Parts: sequence; C-alpha cells; structure tokens
Amino acid sequence: MNGRNPENGRKQVMFHDHRTFSFSNIVMVLVVVFLFLPLFVVVLYSFNSSKGMTWDHASLVWYEKLIFDSPSLWMAFKNSLIIALTSSATATVLGTLAAIGIKWYRFPGKSYITTVSYLPMVLPEVIIGISMLIFFSAVKIQLGMFTIFVAHTTFNLPFVFLLVSARLDEFDYSTIEAARDLGANERQTLLRVIIPSIMPGVLSGFLMSITMSLEDFVITFFVSGPGSGTLPLYVYSMIRYGVSPVINALSFVMILGTMLIAWVFRRFLKTIAANS
Amino acid sequence: MSIKDGRRSSERRERRLGVSYAAPMGVWFTVFFIAPLVIIILYSFLKRGLYGGVEWEFSLTAYGQMFNPNFGKVLLRTIWISVVATAFCILLAIPTGYAMARSKHQTLLLFLIIIPFWTNSLIRIYAWISILSTEGFFNEILKSLGIIDEGLHLIYNHGSVILVLIYMYLPFAILPLFTTIDKFDFSLLDAARDLGATKFGAIRLVMLPNIRSGLLTAIVFTFIPIFGAYTVPLLVGGKDSTMIGNIIVDQVSKTRNWPLASAFSMILTLVSTVGVIWMMMSSRKEQAQKKNVTNQQKTEQNILDHHTTGGEA
Amino acid sequence: MLRNRIAQAMGGMGKRLKGVEVTAGHVTRSYGDFKALDDVSVRIEKGEFFSLLGPSGCGKTTLLRIIAGFDSPDSGTVLFDGKDVLPFPPEKRQSNTVFQTYALFPHLTVYENIAFPLRLKHVDKQEIDRKVREYVHLVQLDEHIDKKPNMLSGGQKQRVAIARALINEPSVLLLDEPLSALDAKLRQNLLIELDELHDKVGITFIYVTHDQSEALSVSDRIAVMNHGKVLQIGTPYEIYEAPATEFVAKFIGETNLYPCTVTSCERYNDEYMMTIDVPSLGRAIYVTDEEPMEIGRGLNFTVRPEKITITIEPPSKQKAGINTFHGIVEEPVYSGFQSKFYVQLDDVGTVVKVFKQHTNFMDDGPEIEWKDLVYVSWSADDGYLVKVIDE
Repeated sequence: MNGRNPENGRKQVMFHDHRTFSFSNIVMVLVVVFLFLPLFVVVLYSFNSSKGMTWDHASLVWYEKLIFDSPSLWMAFKNSLIIALTSSATATVLGTLAAIGIKWYRFPGKSYITTVSYLPMVLPEVIIGISMLIFFSAVKIQLGMFTIFVAHTTFNLPFVFLLVSARLDEFDYSTIEAARDLGANERQTLLRVIIPSIMPGVLSGFLMSITMSLEDFVITFFVSGPGSGTLPLYVYSMIRYGVSPVINALSFVMILGTMLIAWVFRRFLKTIAANS
Repeated sequence: MSIKDGRRSSERRERRLGVSYAAPMGVWFTVFFIAPLVIIILYSFLKRGLYGGVEWEFSLTAYGQMFNPNFGKVLLRTIWISVVATAFCILLAIPTGYAMARSKHQTLLLFLIIIPFWTNSLIRIYAWISILSTEGFFNEILKSLGIIDEGLHLIYNHGSVILVLIYMYLPFAILPLFTTIDKFDFSLLDAARDLGATKFGAIRLVMLPNIRSGLLTAIVFTFIPIFGAYTVPLLVGGKDSTMIGNIIVDQVSKTRNWPLASAFSMILTLVSTVGVIWMMMSSRKEQAQKKNVTNQQKTEQNILDHHTTGGEA
Repeated sequence: MLRNRIAQAMGGMGKRLKGVEVTAGHVTRSYGDFKALDDVSVRIEKGEFFSLLGPSGCGKTTLLRIIAGFDSPDSGTVLFDGKDVLPFPPEKRQSNTVFQTYALFPHLTVYENIAFPLRLKHVDKQEIDRKVREYVHLVQLDEHIDKKPNMLSGGQKQRVAIARALINEPSVLLLDEPLSALDAKLRQNLLIELDELHDKVGITFIYVTHDQSEALSVSDRIAVMNHGKVLQIGTPYEIYEAPATEFVAKFIGETNLYPCTVTSCERYNDEYMMTIDVPSLGRAIYVTDEEPMEIGRGLNFTVRPEKITITIEPPSKQKAGINTFHGIVEEPVYSGFQSKFYVQLDDVGTVVKVFKQHTNFMDDGPEIEWKDLVYVSWSADDGYLVKVIDE
C-alpha cells in the first residue's frame, strides 16, 4: 500500500493492492467517463454539418459562423474580458493587502474581517446575486457594467485573500524582521521583500479570479443591465431562446480555453514548487 | 521618550498599519456584501409594496406565505432532491477519491477532474440537454440501433435535475475527499487486515473515521450549492421540478414580492451557515484532539505568537 | 585555510570593525501573565563573545530581541556604549541579527540577499559588487553566489545569513540559535568557523543557545538563564566548575546533587573547610568553598561524576578532606572513551553517578563490572555548595 517515503516525500507503493480492476478503480474510471462524456458529445457535434443531433458529415460551418457571424457574442466576450480583468485586479490588490494586514498586525475589527471574508465562498450564488440586486435597487445604482464589476470583485476577494494568506502562512516572519534589521523601512519591506515573496500566491489568486469571473452566470444574471451582457449570459440566452449549433463550436473553444488556463496554472504551480 | 510612550506609539503604529492594510477589503465587504445581506433580512420582515419594492411596515406576512402548500411542496422537494444528489455525489466520490489517492498518476487524474469542473457551467448544462433531449444524442443512438422508434422523454423531470446536479457538483465532493484520503496512512489498512478485517471492513472501521473531516467538508460543499441551485432546475427541470432558488428568483423578477424572496433567502442562508459552522466546529475539535499540548508548550506558543504577530516595535 | 581566507578578506576591508559594550539594566518584559524577563541585568563587554544560555522559554530570545529592537521592554534600559538605544527601531541600531530560521529572502539569490542592505543605502554599484564578493568569499560560498536560498543546504543558508548580517559592518552581531537547525557534525564545524570569525572581525557577538556544549566551547562569558532570570554570569570554567545554583549545576553537564545542612565551618588556607550533613549519603562530609557559609543553613551539595574516583581497593588516605563511600555497581554503561557507573551506596541506598575516563591499559586498573563492590571517593575541593532556590 501507499506510504510516504520520508527520504523524498514521494508516494511509494509498498503493498499488494494495485489490482487494476479493483472496485474503486472501476468507479473512478466511470466517474471520469461520466465527467467527460457530455463535453465529448458537444465537441463532436460542433463538427457536424447538420443542425440536429443526427450526424451528417464533418464540417467547420459552425466555427465559421462563430467567428464571422456572431457580433453580439464577441461584444459579450469583450464585456466578459473587461469585467474579468478589472474585478480580478481590484480583488487581487485589496485581498493581498488585507491578507498581509490580518496576518501580521493586531487591530480592532480583525476577526470581523476574517469571518466576513469566508461568507461569500459558502453562501449559495443565488443569495449573493439577489441580495446585491436588491441592494443596488435600494441605493438606486443603475445595473450595468459597474454593478457586475462590484459583484465579481466581491466573490473574487475571498479566494485571493485565502490563497495569499496560505502563502503568508509559509512565510517566515523573521524575514521581515531581517529586512528591517538590515535597514529597510516599512514601504521598502513591503515592496522589496513581502510582495516579491508572496508573488506566487498573489498570481494564483489573480488567475483564479479571472477564471471564476469568466465562468460566473448566476450572480451576473441578477446584477447585469441592458447592454452589459457577458459571455455566460449570451450562452444562457442561446440555450433558452433558440439553440443554434454555434453554441457547440463556442463550447469547444471555451473547453479549450479552460484546458489552456488549467495548463498554464499547472505549469505555473510547478515552477513555484521548483522555486520554493 | 520613555519606554511606555515608545510601546504605546508602537502599538498605535501597529494598529494603524493593520487597519490601513485590511480596511479597504473590510469596507468593501461591509458595503457590498454585509449591507445587502442586512437589507434582505430587513426586507423579509416588511410588507410587500404595491408595485414591487417594500413598504416600511413590520410584518410577518412573508414568513406566513412560506407555509403556503405550494411553497411547502417546493421546499420539501428541494430538500429531498438535495439529499439524494448529495448522497450520490458522496457515494461516487469516496471510491474515486480513494482510487486517486492510491494512483501513481495523481496529477493527471486531478487534472481530469478539474477540467470539467472549470468548464463553464452553462456549457455543461447545455451538453446534457443535447444528450438527453427527445432528439438528443442518447435517443439518436438508440434509434439508430433500432431499439426505439420514438425519442424517450429523458429530460425536464426530477431525474434529469438530479442527474445534472450530480454531474455539476461531483468534483466538489471528490476534491476534499481526495485531499484527506491522500493524507491518510494506508499502512493502517494493512494493520486492520492483518488483524482480521476484510478489505471493506478495514475501510469502514479504520479509514472512514480517519477521513471524517474530509467527508464532512465534501457533504457541506456539495449540499449547500445543490440546495441553492437555480440554473439546473431552470434549464433541465420540468414544470414541477422547481427548487427554492427558482422561487426566490421568480419572486424577485416576476411577482416582485421582495419580502417573500428575502424570507426564502433567509432559509438558504441559515442552512448554509449551519452547515459551515458544523463543518468548522468539527474540524476544530479534531485539531484540538490532535494538539494535546502541555502547558510548557502553550507558554512557548504564546511567546512565539507574540513574536510572530506583534513583532513591530 | 579558513583562517587565511578570513585574514585575506578582512585585510581587504582594511580595518577591523569596532565592537560596542552592550548593557541591559533591570529589563522586564511580560506577555500577559507570563514574565518572559524579570529584572534582568547584564553587561557585555566590547568585542566579547557572550552567550545567553538556558532552556526554551527562559527569556534568552526575548532579551536578544529587545537588544535588536524587535521587542521593547516594559521597563529597564538597553545601552550601546552607554547610549540609550531603546527609542531606535532595529534599522537604526548598530546591531544586526542572524536568525534561527535564517530568514533569507526566498526570491533573491545569495548575491542579492547579501547585497540587500547596501542596495537600500544606494551604495555605488561597483562598490556593492566588490563588497558582496568579498563577503561571499569570506563565508566560502563563491560557487553558490547565483543560487536561490532553496538550492542551498542548511549550513550554506546559515553562512549567507551571517554574511548578510555582517555586510553592514555592525558593532554587535546577534545570533539567535543559529545552529539549532543543523546536524551535529556540521554544527561543530560552523561553531569553529564562528569562533574564528569573531576573532577576526572583533565585534561583540551575543549568542543565544540552549545547547550547553556550544556555549561552553566558544564563549568568553556565559549568562545562564531560567524563568526570565539570570542565574549566573561567568566564564565557561566558572559556570561548569562552580555553578551558583542548583539549576545551573543540573543544566550544565551532569552532576550528583543532594540537599545538605552546614554543621561546621573553619578557615583553611585561603578557603573555608566545611562539614555538611547530607542525609541521602548517611553522614557528614567535607567540602571547601571560597566563601564561608552560616552554620545550620540548608543548601545543596553537588559533585560532578567525572571528579569521583571509583576503585575496587580502598583509596589511600594521603590527603585530608577525602570523602569515601562503599557501594555496589548497579549499572555500568560503556561508552567508548569513558564508562559510566551507577553505584548504590551501602545502607542509605542512594545512587551516585561516576564517570571514569579510559586511559591506557596499565593506568586503567582492573575492569569494574556489574555487582562489583567498589569504593567511590572525591576530594573536598571538588564538591560545591549551591543555593537551593533559583532566584
């Protein structure tokens, strides 16, 4: 069976149980098939020339339509990108600073901020969406790009905060004292020592935010206004009101995008692992 | 400058720095998260306005309306759908997490679980629609094999809702279970079997109690989003498979009964909070058991804490 | 070879750095109910290698951190060459610290870590380069100059930390258990290097450790601490040979320690010869001390195991003031260069620890084995009286 090899921390197979067809392995394979089957079907039919699910012949017609004949889709994609970048950047700055403050200083309100920062992660999205919608109407803020930006920043913040805090936990406080001891002031310590050391955590927080922001449908659905539709909202209207196989093509592109991000993420995490 | 003054000023400085680092996020959450929640709580106790909105008059009407048999049915349905879907997720996730933890290809497997998990949720729901619908992939295959002539009605019912919910939230159950099982010392299973337990006996008696915290996290992380599901019942559910999430949205956008929507939101919030508190308490208890520290160590820890948190002088 | 390198490097610097005298006066520091430092006073001389020694939680690290400026006392003074440094933050003090965890900046290379303080001061680029290379050479890390800390071994990290702390040319180097994370052999080597480094740079070293053998082997003087108090300050010889309290006696090396009462005290040459009643030994014994003790006072008597002679034959009574007891060897432990015996005395049953150094075959005498009947004896000069309560 598996145990940790203390020498290199790697997994080591030591015992008899590595039958390929054990119950758990079969379940695992079925689960993976279950998870990929729908994606596979969508990708397959994106290359189907006919409109329905009866296979005609392979064609790229839906990709052509996607690229050259879907101006409102591209508009929505542009909105999505703008929201993702701005909300992730804001969340990254606010979340990182807060993580530093919470980790190393004592001040009133500290436990309030810590507790509150976990809530958006655990509350159902519908609640966050509805409460924001009601809030924005109560204070009479026009729904639109700005409200989407606010909502996305809110649900991205906890993740940045968590990831940076985790990085800070590994960070030795003596390092900050060493910096001060060697002559750095507060600002120099922050910019030259703390931020560079926790950069991997900050970047993973940022990347995570980008993916979640591009992904989000439910919360965005409530706080968006006319003309501020994001890509997921566009996909929703395509599903709801008239399915066109263009959505198959779009799905494949988005799945590829996900895989690309996951791959970048993994490469990135590997480099971090090698460097720390 | 006396020492006392120095100490006081350094404490002041620490407080000032801490606040200036954390305040932006604190203010953001207070304004854009806590305030909206407070408004919802408030609205749930108010009277419904004539043309949407609310009237500023205390009333328990919204809570009374929740016991309307129509809504009661939805509430019960939400509960049983969530329980069934969560149970399936956990039952599939335990062997999967176990097999992943035992595998030599952990990174690859994690990758395989995460890719569908990161793929846009609407795309995933859409994929199921194109598989299950009357002229969908599944029916087309059956037809071409000559098993059926007419497409089966596989979608827009409770079954399709549960199936897609399982599909959407299975990774939420697998990931925490994998993490805890991966940390589990598998030689304990060998020991149990050496002492006469069967393989499943060993897993049930030795492994399950040791992965309790992961199991709990998996249950809470799966149950809460399923309980609050909105998109799945909307897109693959039938007329009679709506869940609480759908009611809330309908009350806000169609009926414009904000107090009722708020009252239902309170239920969702309450369920989630209870789940999370349960999870946190149990993990804290587990940690407390693990860390049975002596007084000496505690003292050292105190000093250490002071050094690591209050190091600014 | 190392000595040459240091000489070269320091010669290149063209000057020996100057140390300062560090004085801590009546320093008290509490964390809530816990008194980390309770009225501690020490004076550390210019250029001294001074150790703060004690178990974890004794306050030694707190004192170091107060001297460095990372913590401030509730009351008391800290002076560098007579000047109050408490109002100054760490970066304004002439001290630099080598941290227990090394505290290297993980995102910077060896070179950049060592250059960090100079870059903050906007020193000219060429000057930085020259100096950094000098110090890298000093700590023998020339081959590793472009590596990140995670590529280095524990010992190498420690050297980077030392070079980085020295490059600012401080007057005091504060070392917080710098070797505790290293293995025993490496620790010995680094300890010797540290000692030589101290000889060369000539600044004041304040060294915090819980390891008595480290402290004994490198320090000019040692302060033994426990429960936030300094129990004894002295040279390694004084601390070991004449412990002031029960705690010091027990903490430094191994010892036999029994409660006793003074029954007589008279002047004997330039010392005082006393008889003390030791209930656990069953009778009165002789002990000498530099200072007279009042009769009837309750104290502890201590004698180091290696000062006790163990023989099969009764020892010849040539000298006055030899204490001899008879007993049975209960547990001989052979450990190479020496053997340890646990001898149970007749009648009282008290167990006395005896260490016997092995020399050559002829001088070693007949081998002593389990259940042998033996005589144990020690001179009155080798016993000490120590205070019972550690205050």
